[in-house]
Amino acid sequence: MNPRLRYGQAAPVMILAVLCLITPPCASSADKVITLDYRIFPGLAEMDGNWAALTVAHDGKVYAGLACHGCDGHMVMYDPATDRVTDLGNLTRLAGEASLRIGPQSKIHAKFGEGSDGRIYFGTHAGLWFNYARVGTKEGYPGAHWMAYDPKTGKFEDFGIGPRYEGINTGAYDPKYNRIYGLTHPRGHFVYYDVASGKAVDKGRINNFESICRTLGIDDEGNVYGNFGAGQIYKYDPRTDEIIELPLHIPIRPKGVSLGRDYNKSETHWRTVVWDSQEKKFYGVDESASLLFSFAPHAGQYGEVKSLGQLCVEGMNDRREIPYATLTLALGRDRKLYYAPPSKEFDYGGSQGIGVSHLIVYDLESGRTEDRGEMRLADGRRVIGLNSADTAPDGTIYFVGAIEVRGAPGREIESAGKIGNVPYRLALVIYHPKTR
Amino acid sequence: MMRKTFYCCAFLLLAGTLGKGQRTPDYDSVVVPQNRIDARDLGYSPIDVIPDGESAITALTVAPNGNVYGATSGKRSHLFVLNPRHGYVQPLGFIPGATAVTSALAVSDSGDVYIGSTPAGHLLKYTPHREDEQPLRINEPCEVTDLGSTIQGEGILALTIDRRAGVLYGLTFPSAHLFKFTLTTGTSADLGVIAHRAPQGEKFQTTKMVSRMLVLDLKGNVYASGEDGFIFRFDPEKQALEKLPVQAPSIPGREPWTRVDAFLLDPSGVIYGGTSDGYLFRFDPESITVSNLGRPLLEYRIGGLVRASNGKLYGVGGDDDDMARLFSYDPQSASYEILGFVDVNRRPYYSWQAYVIQAMAAGLDDTIYIGETERISKLYLFYPR
Repeated sequence: MNPRLRYGQAAPVMILAVLCLITPPCASSADKVITLDYRIFPGLAEMDGNWAALTVAHDGKVYAGLACHGCDGHMVMYDPATDRVTDLGNLTRLAGEASLRIGPQSKIHAKFGEGSDGRIYFGTHAGLWFNYARVGTKEGYPGAHWMAYDPKTGKFEDFGIGPRYEGINTGAYDPKYNRIYGLTHPRGHFVYYDVASGKAVDKGRINNFESICRTLGIDDEGNVYGNFGAGQIYKYDPRTDEIIELPLHIPIRPKGVSLGRDYNKSETHWRTVVWDSQEKKFYGVDESASLLFSFAPHAGQYGEVKSLGQLCVEGMNDRREIPYATLTLALGRDRKLYYAPPSKEFDYGGSQGIGVSHLIVYDLESGRTEDRGEMRLADGRRVIGLNSADTAPDGTIYFVGAIEVRGAPGREIESAGKIGNVPYRLALVIYHPKTR
Repeated sequence: MMRKTFYCCAFLLLAGTLGKGQRTPDYDSVVVPQNRIDARDLGYSPIDVIPDGESAITALTVAPNGNVYGATSGKRSHLFVLNPRHGYVQPLGFIPGATAVTSALAVSDSGDVYIGSTPAGHLLKYTPHREDEQPLRINEPCEVTDLGSTIQGEGILALTIDRRAGVLYGLTFPSAHLFKFTLTTGTSADLGVIAHRAPQGEKFQTTKMVSRMLVLDLKGNVYASGEDGFIFRFDPEKQALEKLPVQAPSIPGREPWTRVDAFLLDPSGVIYGGTSDGYLFRFDPESITVSNLGRPLLEYRIGGLVRASNGKLYGVGGDDDDMARLFSYDPQSASYEILGFVDVNRRPYYSWQAYVIQAMAAGLDDTIYIGETERISKLYLFYPR
């Protein structure tokens, strides 16, 4: 019923392992290339990662959180109407901690949410953890701030520190109950901030530190869902203020089969889910093998999970070295799911060499999956890997991730560092399904 | 330039792993060595386990036959037993009327288990009966005898037992009464109050500061810490409660907010204690002296303290918002060893780290039992050398 001690998985693991080893690689999708538009974040070349922190507001403005390990994260906004990227602020400074010289507010590590008041809600996160040697110390990270950005005034409101010494690893905002939800790192607690009452609540532990579920899904009734243990679903009901562990599991691969990051995690969860307001169900991708599933929370007594296939680079399906899933699932206005998996294990500076992101499209009506090929920029540069996605009101799909940086004679390369031996920087990558 | 690139790459590699909470091999250097620790679920997974939200272990004690009894706190309290010969945790049912049992578990010579409940404040008795043959009880009540309320309107914060005399001693919450309960007669008596007022503080800070445990010395005297961190003694011969002229160690000025988290009677007759500020101390009941042994960790609190047969003391430090660490203290060399985070890593089968710990017990087989106190909790087994 939870991340309990699990035994007896050895046999299926071995069978799968043997199967994976004899499956030949397939590279047919490598010939296909899809060209995408992009925007860099001017003056912020140092920003070295982005995870989940990308949301398009009702007016089409795009908000992103840029992470910087060992330094201050930033919140940025892209306005497609003016084609302008704006740095909205330095998170440590916005938290009032710039002069303290303690663990900085290095990230927004989760999706933003738009309130009925038009404000953009989020929680902040730390960057470096030093094997948790600084947790609770005076030089360490003081804790995540709950915040809101008001596009009308251009001002931020800091609601203060929520979880002490911990960051908001995962988050979601619910406009119905006007609450920002989060899962903390490192202690894996389910927490929320109730904006109206100003109350910060901790509902206790749900995950282990290296296996914190990376997306909280919220349905149309304001219920919040996450994963624990071996892909088991839990539900937080705001009416009862209770966490209920549902007898439902998403499809996952047994631990020890997939290599990369999944190999070293003790629990297996969905990496990301998106809510489909039309069908009233979630679509999600598991982290162990990018297994696609749907979860209809209102079906039956506890909800219903259906396996829909696998979203990965063509030819990777049964392979052990399938890269760890990304946070890039988006539901298009055309009833298609868009997902950007990397061709090699990708995690910015922690990537296993240089790869290229692909664009995978799953048609909800036909159930067909298509690998549209390697994502490249117009000048041929690679989109190395992406880790957030959202859909604009006009159907545009936005991603944030790492693009290749090339030098020019007489100009210093502006990059966040290297992936493999290739310099990279963060960019907003833009895909227009209609103009394909 | 090359050096700059090297450092940049090294930093990014570090950031790529440490920054995202991924477990890397070097994490093993900050946790208890994995060949000295293991964990148990509180029951038989996945169904017959004490549910999450009810599994926070807040009391552990060892019976004369070596069985380890534990109690949990949460939406309901549960009683469980671990027979070291079997090695698994057997849930014995939820404790009627209790949502918390805090250091209020004691076993008599005959093997009866006494439970001090909160908030009801009733003293309950559980008599083991062929436990090995019983089914696991999760949603059934534990079969207990209600011995009634000891101090009206008070919860029971701590219990200890004088097995020879057949007397239970208890400390209540919130009014800080010390009481005794005589097993043969079933009668209780109020022995007095050890904290008359809450220390000065903010308006929301209204709790009296008393110890979270009680301890007996070799003569059967009972000790607690009370107001201003003073040690209180109840002498059963004189039937008198005294405030001794010694305090648990603290930074000067912090005495009003100091309490003893954990007590331990050493076979030599001295008593060891750990304080809310994280100090370890030695209290000699003969000379009525306290020696401050310093702080093993940076964190507040010592949530548990036990002695192993190697003569070393083992303790756990860290507050509710910390990440608990295990340490040992060797009275021979007067030195500490920091053993690290309480983490069990048996991937791909199971892996879990305890962040909050409020109960410890030393088994007769020399295994040290560590009770995790969180929404999802496990019982850890540590093997001292």
